[in-house]
Amino acid sequence: MIGYLTKRTVLVIPTLIGVSIAIFLMVRLLPGDVIDIMLGGDTQASPEVRQQAREQLGLTGSYPEQYWHWISGVVQGDFGESLRNTEPVSNILRTAMPITLELIFLSLLIATLVGVPLGVISAVRRDSSRDFAARLTGLIGISIPNFWLATLLLLFTSKVFQWVPPLTYVSPWEDLGANLSQFILPAVSISVFTLAIVMRMVRATMLEVLSLDYVRTARAKGVPRRRVIYRHALRNALIPVLTVLGFEVGVIMSGAAIVEIIFGLPGVGYNLLQAIFNRDDPLIQATTLVLAVTFIAFNLIVDLLYGIVDPRITDS
Amino acid sequence: MSDNETPKPQSTGELSRRDLLVKAGQVGAGVVGAGALAGAAQGAPKRRKAAPPSGGRVTWALEQDPVHIAPFGGILTSNHWGKAPMYESLIEWDAKLNERPALATSWKAVGNKAIDFDLRRGVKFHNGKELTSADVVYSIGLQLNPPAPGSVAVLGQVPAIQNAQALSKYKVRINLKAPDARLFGYLAWNRYSAIVPEGMYNQLNAGREGIGTGPFKLVEYQPNSHVEYVRNQAYWKKGLPYLDALTFKILPDEQARIAALRSNAIDGATFSSDSAIVLARDKNLKVLKGLTAAFRELQFTIKEGENKPWHDVRVRQAVNFAINRQEILNKVYNGNGDYSGMVPPGYGPWPLTRSELRDKYEKFDLAKAKALMKAAGFEKGFSVTLTTFSTPLDFAQVASVMKQQLQRINIDVNIVAQEPGTFAAANGKGSFEWDLTARGMRGDVDGYMAEYNPSSTAYRAWYPKYKNVRVWRLVGNGRIQLNQSKRLPMYKEAQRLLMNDVVQVPLVAVTKYQVVRKRVNNMYVAFSDFQTGLHTTVFVKG
Repeated sequence: MIGYLTKRTVLVIPTLIGVSIAIFLMVRLLPGDVIDIMLGGDTQASPEVRQQAREQLGLTGSYPEQYWHWISGVVQGDFGESLRNTEPVSNILRTAMPITLELIFLSLLIATLVGVPLGVISAVRRDSSRDFAARLTGLIGISIPNFWLATLLLLFTSKVFQWVPPLTYVSPWEDLGANLSQFILPAVSISVFTLAIVMRMVRATMLEVLSLDYVRTARAKGVPRRRVIYRHALRNALIPVLTVLGFEVGVIMSGAAIVEIIFGLPGVGYNLLQAIFNRDDPLIQATTLVLAVTFIAFNLIVDLLYGIVDPRITDS
Repeated sequence: MSDNETPKPQSTGELSRRDLLVKAGQVGAGVVGAGALAGAAQGAPKRRKAAPPSGGRVTWALEQDPVHIAPFGGILTSNHWGKAPMYESLIEWDAKLNERPALATSWKAVGNKAIDFDLRRGVKFHNGKELTSADVVYSIGLQLNPPAPGSVAVLGQVPAIQNAQALSKYKVRINLKAPDARLFGYLAWNRYSAIVPEGMYNQLNAGREGIGTGPFKLVEYQPNSHVEYVRNQAYWKKGLPYLDALTFKILPDEQARIAALRSNAIDGATFSSDSAIVLARDKNLKVLKGLTAAFRELQFTIKEGENKPWHDVRVRQAVNFAINRQEILNKVYNGNGDYSGMVPPGYGPWPLTRSELRDKYEKFDLAKAKALMKAAGFEKGFSVTLTTFSTPLDFAQVASVMKQQLQRINIDVNIVAQEPGTFAAANGKGSFEWDLTARGMRGDVDGYMAEYNPSSTAYRAWYPKYKNVRVWRLVGNGRIQLNQSKRLPMYKEAQRLLMNDVVQVPLVAVTKYQVVRKRVNNMYVAFSDFQTGLHTTVFVKG
C-alpha cells in the first residue's frame, strides 16, 4: 500500500509542474493587464506612467524570470501579493479554501447519499414506476444548468418564504445551523448534476453486477436479498462510481465558481473570477493552482480508495 | 414606472454651480465666495420641516467588491463605493454637483499658481485627532505619490499640484506647477483627494482599514463579503448622519440582489432597467432613477498612414446623422435616458443644451446622411469592425441597433464583443477601427475634453491625424483658466466645434435604476455613480 501511495504521489509532481507552467502562460497571454483595469477608462495616463506603474507592481522582467520568481515562492508557501490590494494571496486562500472545500464536500455528500440509493432502487426495481421516476430525475439533473437552478432556488425561496440564506459567511465552528442554512441551497444546486450521474452509473453497474454468477450463487445459497444487494452487488458496483466521483470534483468546482457568485460565498471560485476581471495575476495563478491541486488530490484519494474497495488493484 | 424621487436638499444654503461660477469670477482677485457659502450655510430655511428621525441601519448591496478601500492611487468606482462614507476632502459636491465647502471653509487664489485654504476648526478624525494643516500636507503628498495598494497609474487624473504647505495650524496652501482649473473639481470629487490623519499609512493597512472625517466610521471590510460602518458620533455636520449604521453587502449577481431585496435581507441596490420594471410591481419597494455620467460613445481612430473612409469629416458627419438616438433609447433602454454630447447632460452647466443636441447636432437626418456619404464618394458604403464590451449587455444591444441604422447608408458594421480587460487594453493603445465605449464621471469638465488636446496620450493613440487648432486652443486654455465664468463659453464653443468635426460620436446618457425598500427615505441616484445619498441624506422610517 505504501509503495502504491508513493508511486501515485510521485506521479503528481510532473503533473503539477506542467499545470503551473500552463497557468502561468495562460495568464500572461490574456490581453490587457492590471494597469489597464486600474486606469478604469482614464485616457490621460502616459506610456511612461504606465511603465512606472508596471515596475511598481513588479510586472517587468522576462517570462522565465517571472515564472521562476513565482514558483520558487510557491514551493515555500508564498503565493505573492494581490496586485489590486497587496493582500498576501496565501491569506486570501486561507479564507476562501474552507468555503469551497465545504461546498465540494456537501455537494459530494448530497450526490452520494441521494444518487446511490436512487440508482440501487432503479436497478433493483427495473422497469417499474420507481425506476422510471428515478431515471427521469437523472435526466432532469443532467439537463439543468447549475447556475440556473441556483438562481431559481434563490428566487423561489425569496418569493415564497421571503427567505434567502445568510448574506455573510458564517463558519461552521461559529454556528453550524447558520452555516448549513447558508450552504444547503448552493450545495444542492451544484450537486444535482453529479447526483444524476451517480444515479445513472450505479443503476448501470448494479444491473450488470446483479446478473453475474456470484450474485446468482449467493441468492441460490439463500442469502437474504437485502444482503446480496448491499453487501455483494453494491460494493462491486461502487468502483466505477468512485472513478466518476473523482472526475465530478472538477465539475463541482467549476459549478462552485458561478454558484459562489450567485450566493455571495467568497470561496476560491468567487475569488478566481474576480481576479480574472481585475487581471490580478498572482491571485489568478494561485487560485487556479489550488483548484488543480484539489482536483489532483481528490483523484489521488479515489485511487487510494480503489485499493481499499478492491485490493487486487493495489496488488497489481 | 415608479417613484422618481429627487433628494430633498438639506438646509445648508447650497449655491448652485452657476452661482459658484459667478462668484468664481472673483478668483483672479482672490475670493471664491466660500465665506458667503459658509455664512449661507447657517441661514434658517423659510419653512421648517420636522427633522428626519435618526437611527436605524441600512444594508445596501454593491454589485462589485471594492477590492480595497485605500484612499489614494488606483481608485475605481467600486473602490470608492467602499471607502466613500469615511473620507472627505477640502471641498464637496452636493447631490446636484454644486461645489461647497467641506473640510475647508473658504479658499483664495494667490496669483495663478497657488490656492490658500482655511480649514474648518474642530473637525475630528475617527480616531479623535483634530484636523490640522499637517494632515492636509500629508494627504496631498500621498495623492501625488500613492503608496500600495494604490498606484501611480492614475496620476493623469490629478491636477498639476506641486505640493502643499502648512501656513498655520488651520491654513494650508496648495502650490500648482502651472495654473490648473481642475483642482476644485478634483477636490470636490473626493475620489482621489481624501484627507487622512498624518501618519495613517504607518498605523494601519490602508487597503482594509481607514481613518477619515466622514459621517461613518469603518468597523470592518471583508473582501468579497461586506463593508460595515457605524455613525461617526463626532461628525462636524451636526445632527448627521441620520443612520446609526451602514453596511455594504457585495452581491455581484443581480438575481441574488433581487432575492435579497424581496426577503428584506438588503434595503436597496442598483438594478438593470428590466429588473427595475419587475420590482416596481412590489408594493414594498420603490424604484428610483436618474442619469449618471456614464454615457455611451462611438469612437473612431484617425491615424497617420491609414486611409479609412471616416478620415473624411463628411463620412463622420453622415454616421452621426444616420444614428437615431431616440431609437437606441427606446429599443435598449425602455425609452429612458437622454441624448448626450461630449459632456453628459447633468454635468452642471457644462454640456450643450438639450435642444441644441436634439434639434441640431444630433438630429436624426437620414437624407442628409446619405447626401454626405455621396459627397464624400462613399455612396456604396464600406465595412468596418466595431469593438465593444461583452458585458454589460446593453453595449452589444446598442451596437446592434446602430448596425441596423448604419446599414441604411450602406455601412456594414461587424460587431466584436470583448471581455472588459481585453477591450480596455486595445482601446488604450488605439488598436481598433471603431469602439463603442462608455465614459464615466470626471472631477472637472477638462476630463471630458482633454483628449482633444494634441499633447494628451489619448489624442496620440486615437486620432493624431485630426487637426483643429481652434479646438486645441480652447481645450488647452480652458484647463489653465482659473476664472470659471470665462471657462464656460470656451468649453461650450469647443463642444460645438467637435460636434461638427465628430471626431467621436457621443450617443446617449443612460438612466441608472436603484430600488429601495419603502422604509428608506430620501435616497437618490447620484449622477457621480457613487451612493452619496446614503451618507447624510437617507433616513429610515418604520
